[in-house]
Amino acid sequence: MPRKSRTISIILTAAIFILLEVAALSMIVRGGDLQGIWVSRFSHRVMGALWGSSESVRDYFSLKSQNQELAQENYRLSLQVARMQNAIESAGGPEAGLVGDGFAGDFRFIPGAIVKMSKNKQHNYIIINKGYEDGVRPQSGIITSRGAIGIVEAVERNYSYGIAFMNSSFNVSARIGSEGVVGPLSWDGHSTNKAILREIPLQTRFAQGDTVFTSGYSTIFPPDIPLGIVTGSGIQDGTMYEIYVTLLEDHAALRYITIVDHTGRDEIIPLENMEANGEAKEETDEK
Amino acid sequence: MKSSRFFAIYLCYVLLQVLLCNYLNLTYYLTLSILPVLVLLIPVRYSTITAMLIAAASGFLVDFLGDGVLGLNMLALIPVGLVRNGLLNLVFGQEVFAHKEDVTIQKYGIIKFSTYIIIAQALFLIIYIAADGAGTRPFWFNALRFAISLPAGTLLSLFIADTLTKDYRDR
Repeated sequence: MPRKSRTISIILTAAIFILLEVAALSMIVRGGDLQGIWVSRFSHRVMGALWGSSESVRDYFSLKSQNQELAQENYRLSLQVARMQNAIESAGGPEAGLVGDGFAGDFRFIPGAIVKMSKNKQHNYIIINKGYEDGVRPQSGIITSRGAIGIVEAVERNYSYGIAFMNSSFNVSARIGSEGVVGPLSWDGHSTNKAILREIPLQTRFAQGDTVFTSGYSTIFPPDIPLGIVTGSGIQDGTMYEIYVTLLEDHAALRYITIVDHTGRDEIIPLENMEANGEAKEETDEK
Repeated sequence: MKSSRFFAIYLCYVLLQVLLCNYLNLTYYLTLSILPVLVLLIPVRYSTITAMLIAAASGFLVDFLGDGVLGLNMLALIPVGLVRNGLLNLVFGQEVFAHKEDVTIQKYGIIKFSTYIIIAQALFLIIYIAADGAGTRPFWFNALRFAISLPAGTLLSLFIADTLTKDYRDR
């Protein structure tokens, strides 16, 4: 039998089978009360499963837009929290921290997404979908609500290039607990969620499970962003602790970020340079 | 066997099934049905669609004249008509279709023929018992009903098959 006529025969057989079964079922539904309820319950279950499945498929394909909406929402909420904190801290009342849209205290927040990120090198990088047209400047921080992700190095019109936290030359000023000691936190060199906090004096008290936050001692990252949890420690050169930290953010699974730009950086950096130049001059005079 | 004679005997057995349904109510656990074997014995030259239509008509007739719920036998019997050709191929092989020869116990032996009947009988009983219970009876009841009805139905079906194909044997 040719393939085409065989296919037609199969379809015809299936159609007649379904038709006859439906006829039998409709007779049963009309004939017996119990059977009527049974068929109706079964059909409701099938319809429920079908609608549920199609809803799940639709949900899956709309995940991207939902993620974008959530990222925007997260950004708005982060901004609101920062503004509120600033307003509470400031003596001038609740309006003191508000500077303008996207601003909170000394920092301006710009939501963005990672378009490319290397993960398998010692010097990993990030490319973000925001550039100078969006207000991004070099030396801006890249954060999420659960960690410091990188620092912007170069900015183009619509994209920015940054060095990632998973980079052996990257470190962020961090402290243990809300009032703890400050030291540089850097990537451990191989994991996507492990870091080492160095230069912690031996007299410092800490415990496993303590949270590590950004210190705020820089013009790049705002203070109090939770970075990770202390999981262990060792003594470095007999003089300092090095503390092992499990990061809250898994750097292998990042998508949405926030770029933070310190509005007063243009004033602070010349002061830092002046201080550095002053020290150099004193040293020269002493010689 | 000539088609007209076959279908005359076929109709008699359908009426016998009506009598079984109406008067042989020994226990709830026993469902005796010879309808599956009647569908299986429809001559091989008839297509699947014809087998399904004959099965639907036979089921409807038994339901209409019998005491049960209208459509119950029809619902359970149509799938037997659907799988008949597949079962023939599975149990007896392609040669049945090549020679368009009817299957008999004498030619293929009791084991092959019993397999042929058991599969169809099981399919019929599963659908029949499930639809008859309508989800109100516990699983063990349905399982016990199936376990008792399957061997009883198969034995009766083997007897029917032997008498229906007698003509072929006598030739």
